[in-house]
Amino acid sequence: MLAQRKPRPTLLTSESYAEIDRWLAKYPPERKQSAVMAALTIAQDQNGGWLTSELVNEIADYLEMPAVAVQEVATFYSMYEHKPVGQHKICVCTNVSCMLCDSERIVKHLQQKLGIGFGQITPDGKFSLKEVECLGACVNAPMMLIGKTYYENLTPEKIDDILARLN
Amino acid sequence: MATIEIDGKPYTAEVGQMLIQVADANGVEIPRFCYHEKLSVSASCRMCLVEMEKAPKPVPACATPVMDGMKVWTRSPKALTAQKAVMEFLLINHPLDCPICDQGGECELQDISVGYGKDASRYGEEKRVVFDKNIGALIATEMTRCIHCTRCVRFGQEIAGIQELGALGRGEHTKISTYIGQTVDSELSGNMIDLCPVGALTAKPSRFNARAWELQQLDSIAPHDGIGSNIHVHLRRNEIIRVVPKQNEAINEIWLSDRDRFSYQGLTAEDRLTVPMIKKEGQWQPTDWETALQAAATGMKQIVEKYEPDQLGGLASATATLEELYLLQRVIRGLGSDCVDHRLHQIDFADQAHAPLFPYLGMPIAEIERCNTALIIGSHLRKEQPLLNHRLRKASMNGAKVMFINPIAYDFNDMRIAQQIITSPNDLITTLSGVAKALLVGKNNVIPQQLEDLLADTKVTEEQQTLAQSLETGDHRLILLGNLATSHPQFALIRALAVAIAKLSSAKLGYCAEAGNSAGAWLAGVLPHREAAGMPISTPGVNAYTMLNKGLKGYVLLGVEPELDSYDGAKALENLQKAEFVVSLTAYVTDTMKTYANVLLPISVFTETSGTYVNNAGTWQSFTAVVIPKNEVRPGWKVLRVLGNLLNVSGFDYDSSEQVRSEVCEKLGQKTTDNLNSWQVPNDLSARKIDGLQRITELPIYATDMIVRRASALQFTRDATSAKGVHVNSNVAAQIGATEANVVQVRQNAAKISLPLVIDERVPDGCVLIYAGQAENVALGSWHGWVELTA
Amino acid sequence: MKAIVSYLKSLFLLELIKGLRVTGGYLFDRKITVQYPDEKTPMSFRFRAHHALRRYANGEERCIACKLCEATCPAMAITIEAAPREDGTRRTTRYDIDFTKCIFCGFCEESCPVDSIVETSFFEYHGEQRGDLLMTKAKLLNMGDKMEAQIAADRAKDAPYR
Repeated sequence: MLAQRKPRPTLLTSESYAEIDRWLAKYPPERKQSAVMAALTIAQDQNGGWLTSELVNEIADYLEMPAVAVQEVATFYSMYEHKPVGQHKICVCTNVSCMLCDSERIVKHLQQKLGIGFGQITPDGKFSLKEVECLGACVNAPMMLIGKTYYENLTPEKIDDILARLN
Repeated sequence: MATIEIDGKPYTAEVGQMLIQVADANGVEIPRFCYHEKLSVSASCRMCLVEMEKAPKPVPACATPVMDGMKVWTRSPKALTAQKAVMEFLLINHPLDCPICDQGGECELQDISVGYGKDASRYGEEKRVVFDKNIGALIATEMTRCIHCTRCVRFGQEIAGIQELGALGRGEHTKISTYIGQTVDSELSGNMIDLCPVGALTAKPSRFNARAWELQQLDSIAPHDGIGSNIHVHLRRNEIIRVVPKQNEAINEIWLSDRDRFSYQGLTAEDRLTVPMIKKEGQWQPTDWETALQAAATGMKQIVEKYEPDQLGGLASATATLEELYLLQRVIRGLGSDCVDHRLHQIDFADQAHAPLFPYLGMPIAEIERCNTALIIGSHLRKEQPLLNHRLRKASMNGAKVMFINPIAYDFNDMRIAQQIITSPNDLITTLSGVAKALLVGKNNVIPQQLEDLLADTKVTEEQQTLAQSLETGDHRLILLGNLATSHPQFALIRALAVAIAKLSSAKLGYCAEAGNSAGAWLAGVLPHREAAGMPISTPGVNAYTMLNKGLKGYVLLGVEPELDSYDGAKALENLQKAEFVVSLTAYVTDTMKTYANVLLPISVFTETSGTYVNNAGTWQSFTAVVIPKNEVRPGWKVLRVLGNLLNVSGFDYDSSEQVRSEVCEKLGQKTTDNLNSWQVPNDLSARKIDGLQRITELPIYATDMIVRRASALQFTRDATSAKGVHVNSNVAAQIGATEANVVQVRQNAAKISLPLVIDERVPDGCVLIYAGQAENVALGSWHGWVELTA
Repeated sequence: MKAIVSYLKSLFLLELIKGLRVTGGYLFDRKITVQYPDEKTPMSFRFRAHHALRRYANGEERCIACKLCEATCPAMAITIEAAPREDGTRRTTRYDIDFTKCIFCGFCEESCPVDSIVETSFFEYHGEQRGDLLMTKAKLLNMGDKMEAQIAADRAKDAPYR
C-alpha cells in the first residue's frame, strides 16, 4: 500500500540523508535495499544510539522496502538497539573465550560499579550495559566494547580506570 | 542432461535442477519443511539432508544442484542419522500437544516426525514460548508452533508481492511476525495457511471446527472471478468446513484467492431463503413449490398479456450457472420478450451488436505470464482477479513491461510497473486517443480511415508517447480491458480505441470477465441483442440499465440484489418497487427484497447444484453439487425448467443439467471469438465532460456478489473495511475544508447522504472515489457523474 | 439282565435320590447367590460401563476436543463438534455418545490424551424414552462430577500396570 501511505514528518536530518545517499551511490539504483544496514546505523547514531519504529518506517519508505523487511535486519543484528541506551554503551563479551578468561568477574565488577544489570541504564544516563557474543578479540580476552573502541585484557582495576576517564 | 544415481537407481535430470526436484519427479521421498516447489530455496530447515558420494557431510537435497555422475543415498545410515538429528532439533521448541492443535492430523511435522524422527526426545529443558498475534480476520496464529521454515515470508515476497510477514530476531529468538501491530492484508493471504507445514498459521473462520480425517473432499469451481479457480470443498456431515485450492496449472496453479477460499461462509448466511414465499394481500407467507411456481407463472403471463411482452424483463447475475442462465433467457424469450440481461454494471451499450462472442481474455490464462508487454486499461486487477494479477506479476518479474491506464493510482503489490497513467474518467478517452495517435505515426491502413481522421486533431502528451513506445517492444503484447473500463459511460469508445491501439501495436486484446460466469452468460444468450451462442436478434430488447432505469411492469431476477448489484441502485430499487410483478429466484431473502418482490423462489448456490462455468479464457468447467440443499431449496435450473413447463414454452423437457449444457454446446458448435475484429468504428471521439467533482466507482473485492457480501470473515478484512466512506486526496479535502474522518455531505443529482471522509492520495484531483455494493452508498445512484461535497 | 437292573433302579428311585443328593449338598452349602440390588458382586477396577467426562481439580473440563475418541470408536457412537471457546481454547460444543451404538470396548478411554473420557463402573442405568440413552456433554460431565472419587481411585489402582 505504498501509494496510500500518508506523508509523514521526516525525522532524519538532511545530513543523515546525505550520508545515506552516499551509501546508496555504491549500489545499483534498483538495489536500494543494499544500503539498509548503513542507513540503520546512520539513523541510530542520529537518534542517540537507538532506533524507533518511526525511524524504521522512514528508512523503509526511503529505500522502498517493506517496513517489516527493515525491521528484520534491525532485529537480527545486535548492534541495533530498540530501547534507549546510555551515552556510553558498554558491550561485554561473555562468549566462550572470554568466559574461560573469567569474564564473569568483569561483568560482576561492572554491574557492581555501575549499579545496573544487563539491558539497563545508569540513572544519570551515562552508561548502559549489554551482554554480547564474540566480537572477535579472543586473543586478548576478556574484552568489552564501548562506543567504537575495544578494551582488551580487562581487569577490575583497568575497568575502573577506563570508566574514570570516560566520566 | 545429467545421469545421477539415487539410492542405487539411475535417473536422468537436467543440469541445474535441484536434487529434491529430481527425487520428487521420480517418486523418491525426501522429507522437507522449508522447500516448496513454487517458492525460492532457503535451505533453512535441513530436513532434506541426504548422503552424497565424496561429500564429507550430508548435503541438503533442496539446495544441491545435480551434476553428472552424482551418487546420492536418501536412506543410508548417515542420511537417516542426520534426518533424525534434525527432527530432534526441530522438536526441541515445538510443543508436543498435537491434540489441541488445529493442524493435528494434517501436519507435515507430525507426519515426518513419525516417518523420520526418533521415538523420544532427550530435551528436558524449558521450551520457547512466543505470544500469538492478531494478524487479521482470516489467519489464526499459534506462533509457538512455528519452526521458522519461512515459507509464509517467502510467499509474501515472491507470490503475494507484498512482504507482510518477516522473521524478526535471530537464532532462538526468531519470531515470524508482521511489522508492529499490522495485519496481513494480501488478497492471497489464505495460501499461507496451506503452505504452513505446522499449526502456526491456520484458518481462522474454521478454527478448531473439524479434523482432517472427518472431512470429505469434493471438487467444485469458484464463482467469484473470471479465472474459475478449481477448488476442493471440504465437508463434514453436509456442512462446508473449508475450501482449499485444487491444483490446476492452467488456471489457478496451486493458489486460491481469499475471496474464493472464504466465501463459503456466505453460503450458510442467516438470511438464506429456504422455503418459497409469496406475497398475499401485502403479507408474506411461506408456501409450497407448486403454489409459488404457479403464482410466478401466472404473474409473468399476466404482465405479458396485459401489457406488451417487452414489459417483462429478466436480470441475472453472472455467478449463476450456464444452465440457469440459458434456461432463464429461454423462459423470457418464450414469453415473447427479449429483455434479458446480465450486464448490470454496464451503462454504455452503443456497440453491443459488434461486441465479441464473449469477454475473452485473448489468450489462455497461463499464457499471461509469458507476456513481454502488457497494457491494462481501467482495472484494479489485483482486487478484480487476484490470480490473473499474479500471472501478470510473474510476467513483470521476468522483465515484462506492464503499464496501466487507470483512474486511481492503484498499488499492484510491488509488481514492476513500467508506467501508470492516472486519468480521470473524463480524460480516459483523450488519453487513449493520444496513445492511439502516437502509435499511428508511420502506419497506414492498419485502422479504418474514419478513425484515423478522428484522431487527426489529437494531441499526444509526453506520457502517452512513452507508453506508446513501450507498447511497441516485446514479442508477446497484450492489452486488457478491466471492469472500470467496462462500466465507463463511454465503453464503446474505449473498446474502439483499445482495438485500434492493439492493432497498431500488433498486440492481443483481452477482456477481464467480471464474475465466474460472465463468459457463460454471453454464450447462454442472457443478452437483449443476442440469443444463445451469439445468434443476433434483429430487434433487440432492452438492456439492463434501461430496464432498471426506465422501469418495466414485470421482472424476473436470478440471483441479484439490484440495489447493490446494478449501475444505479437507487433508480433500480425505485423501479422495482413500482413494478407490478417481480419474481426473484434467490438464495437469500432481505427486507429490501420483500418491498418489491411478489414471489420469492429459493434456489441453490453453486455448491448445491450441478452446472457449468465458462471462465475468462473460454474454458468450460462443469461441476456437480457437493452439498445437499436445506429444506425446500432447489437447483435453479430445475426451477426454471418447471417454470418453462408451466408457461408452455416448447422444448422444455430437460432431465439433467448436462442436457442443457450440451444444447448450448451444440448451438455454439465451432464458433470462436475474435476480439480484434469485434468492434464498431466510432463517429465521434469527443469525451463526455462532467464539471466539478467526478465520481469514480469501484466495486470492492468483497462486495462483488450476493455470496461474498455475506461471507462474514471477509467483511472484517482491510479490503472490506477500507471500502467505506468517500475518498478524496488532500487537495480536494482542503478545498472543501474537511479533514480525515470528518463526516461530509455528499450530493449526487437529487440524492444527498452523509459519509465519512477518507484522505486517499491515490485519487486524482477533481475526483472522488465512492465504492459500489455498499448499502449506505446506494441512495447516491449512478456510478459516474457529478458529485458535490460539503463539509 | 440289563433290563432288570434298570427296572430295579427306577423302582427304588435311585436316579432321583442321586440327583437330590446334589441338590441336598447345595442346600446346606455356603450360598453364592447375590441379593442384587441389596448386595453386589465385587468388581474389577477395569470394569467398563457408563462413560463420564472428567474435570481437573480446579473445575476446568479436561476434554480438549482432539476428536481421537471419535476417530477410534469402532461403533461410531461418538459425535463431537468443536469451536474456540471465548478464551480462545479448543473446546467441544457438542459431545454425544449414543449408548445404543456403544459396544463398551474402551478404545475411547485408551485414546484420550488427557484422561477426559472414561468408562466408570456404573452399569445400572436405563432409558425410559427414546433419546434417554443418548448421552450429551452435560450428562457426561455430570456423571464425571458425581463419580470422580471412584474414577480417580480406579485409575490409581490401574496405574502400576500401565
